[in-house]
Amino acid sequence: MDPGAALNALVLRGIVKVYPGVRAVDGVDLHLVPGEIHALVGENGAGKSTLASIAFGEIAADAGTVESAGVVGLVHQHFELIGRLRVWQNVLLGREPRRGWRIDIDAARERVRALARDNGFSIDVDAFVDDLPIGIAQRVELLRELDRNPAVLLLDEPTAALAPAEIDAFFTTVRGLAERGTAVMIVTHKLQEVISYSATISVMRAGKIVARMETADVTLDDVARAMVGGRVPAVAPRTQTELRPCVSIERLRAGEGGGHIESLSLEVRGGEIVGIAGVEGNGQTTLADALTGTIAYSGEIQKTGMGIIPQDRQREALVMSWPVTDNAILGRQRGRSGKRLMVDRKGARDDAQWIASHFDVRAASLERPVRTLSGGNQQKLVVGRALIDGSPFVLAYNPTRGIDVGAAALVQSRLMQARNDGAAILLVSFELDEILALADRVIVIYRGAIAGSFDREAFDRAAIGRLMAGGS
Amino acid sequence: MKREARAFAGPIVAVLAIAALMSAAMLVAGTTPVAGFSALIAGALGGRNEIGETLVATTALLFPALGIALAFRAGLFNIGAEGQLLVGALFAGAVGPLLTIPPAAAFVLLFFLGALGGFVWGGIAGWMKARFNANEVISTLMLNFVAASLTLELAGGPLRGPVASGAETAWLPNAYWLPTLISHTRLSTGILVALAVAVALHFVFSRTVFGYELRATGEAPEAARRNGINIARITWLSLALSGAIAGMGGAAIVTGELHRFNTQLSPGYGFTAIAVALVGDLRPLWICVAAFGFGILEAGGLSMQASVQVPKDAIHVIEGLIVLILAARRYVVTRAHGASA
Repeated sequence: MDPGAALNALVLRGIVKVYPGVRAVDGVDLHLVPGEIHALVGENGAGKSTLASIAFGEIAADAGTVESAGVVGLVHQHFELIGRLRVWQNVLLGREPRRGWRIDIDAARERVRALARDNGFSIDVDAFVDDLPIGIAQRVELLRELDRNPAVLLLDEPTAALAPAEIDAFFTTVRGLAERGTAVMIVTHKLQEVISYSATISVMRAGKIVARMETADVTLDDVARAMVGGRVPAVAPRTQTELRPCVSIERLRAGEGGGHIESLSLEVRGGEIVGIAGVEGNGQTTLADALTGTIAYSGEIQKTGMGIIPQDRQREALVMSWPVTDNAILGRQRGRSGKRLMVDRKGARDDAQWIASHFDVRAASLERPVRTLSGGNQQKLVVGRALIDGSPFVLAYNPTRGIDVGAAALVQSRLMQARNDGAAILLVSFELDEILALADRVIVIYRGAIAGSFDREAFDRAAIGRLMAGGS
Repeated sequence: MKREARAFAGPIVAVLAIAALMSAAMLVAGTTPVAGFSALIAGALGGRNEIGETLVATTALLFPALGIALAFRAGLFNIGAEGQLLVGALFAGAVGPLLTIPPAAAFVLLFFLGALGGFVWGGIAGWMKARFNANEVISTLMLNFVAASLTLELAGGPLRGPVASGAETAWLPNAYWLPTLISHTRLSTGILVALAVAVALHFVFSRTVFGYELRATGEAPEAARRNGINIARITWLSLALSGAIAGMGGAAIVTGELHRFNTQLSPGYGFTAIAVALVGDLRPLWICVAAFGFGILEAGGLSMQASVQVPKDAIHVIEGLIVLILAARRYVVTRAHGASA
């Protein structure tokens, strides 16, 4: 037996980190035991990521100490990979095996291959990271940390971009690591995973750890209540609607290679939410791009005025350096007629005001750059903008990705209300739970084609999961 | 507050840097900064004639700087203002001598022709960018050389004036010379046109849908594209309009200063204007201030050279350094944001 097994792998004592105007981490004590999978949960802005960065040594704490039994590895929420380098180059960056003054390429490739094998997955070590789907790219990021043989592994929102099957596989890998003695801390707000996979839980709120729990003793609701401080917001109820024809897609073909769409036909009617379920990279992005007219396609798309919630809010939805007011009219700057020549500044202020109050966008001022808003508030702005005109058709792509429970519930409620009011909503999400909660109809997409379709009363989680993985 | 503070930081840093660099140049040349700056200020602002010359340079820099700012705000690095200015000047200089219309109409037409020439020249690079994604830095830079050769060929050949000594067109009729703004100086009312363009551009940026879409494209191209903004149109149009404003500068020199086209009419205004636009933080009204500052350097540099033996070329070295400093600052600021996001 390892004599150090009883000792802590990581000990944080009295950690404080203050940013202008906010105590991001406010006196946190935390310890991790080797072989433990610990979940650090909390809403966005609770200080989880900051704490993880301090434990990793990337950010210096204003007060407090960090002690670890060995190397600390951190897999970031936003990948920090070099897209134009190959998988093995990314994994071994800065630690390449050498032969004389050259990189020993064969040894390097073999080392990465072996590392992947040992952790239970296979990966093309020569692929360029740019060409990989997000789920695989994340494994590259994980491999990079594993190559350093860490005693402590911190995972910041590791499953944000993964499909159900990938999430299972991911946690199998993580469990294997824990069994071999690594202390793992998962920073997340996805409570289902916390309940399924962690051994212990710390709940963080407003910079403090407000509860520490044994996972076996608690339910998801217990954790959720501790996280938001009492109230767990509910999603608006689904009402009876009259379905009207709205959007029809016929024999759509677009894109090429991975992620293309081949001959897809689909109808979304006013008054329903159609959920597109599928593992990332099976054509969802291509479908959305064709609908928004940002790529060329063949086939027929009939649609009306459209509200768009893009998948990457920071890059595709918002001008980060602009204030909330200017962003509130992006895409609507030409007015309803589409012919407006002058910017309606008063209208923009009114719209921003309206979105802020109806979608609970918390900003110190609507004239502050949206860069200064939290992810959840940015997303609420994007959703509010997509819905403000009462568009008959709304495309929502991962509308709650990476945002906290409260913000997610609000976004989901507003989508449901839009549906109840007669809007046709196409919901693309990599979180099956979200689709099952919201959709009236689920379409499973696999390799660019429809693999199956389920009405709400016939939802079958297992069957949908099988179709997503290419089964029947 | 913070946003405002940062917006001012750039120009202030630039001005301090200019002062420091010039002081260093003066010390190297064996004179004190006090004597050097006195000579510079005296040469630029010491009298009616000096002020006139400063404002002549201000005018010549202001047009291309405003054009450059328009392109930069759209995220396009237009390095071709020099060529666009030259082509605009040629258009005005080629047609001007042939006109027989009333002066007021002629002035409108000449500025329009200047704008048209620049529009075409900038539009070529814009079209190449929008159609083939050709890097606009390379294309606009290279089109400068094409413009220089083309105007030399035309002004030295078919368009050459009867009493020209070099590659020059015929004189504009006297009636088509822009009125002088300050008597007994070379300063024409062209500066009023430049200031009007600055105000108009400020209005375009802050109030019009086109300006909004242009700025969105420059700040966040992907968000702009996905929100229905026609990026290709914004791209070619902003490079073309950028050229048009620079081209108006060419027309202003032809009608207001030289009264004919000459291939030597710009001592690199289109390049210096890049520094002017950056020091002015790409904001039209601040660019007016920056252009006046650079006008002082251009006009005062000569007398500084004469009285304290700091070579006038030092001014151009300093202008180049300013572009470097501001480009570096932009890079640092961008990276800092990237890290904090």
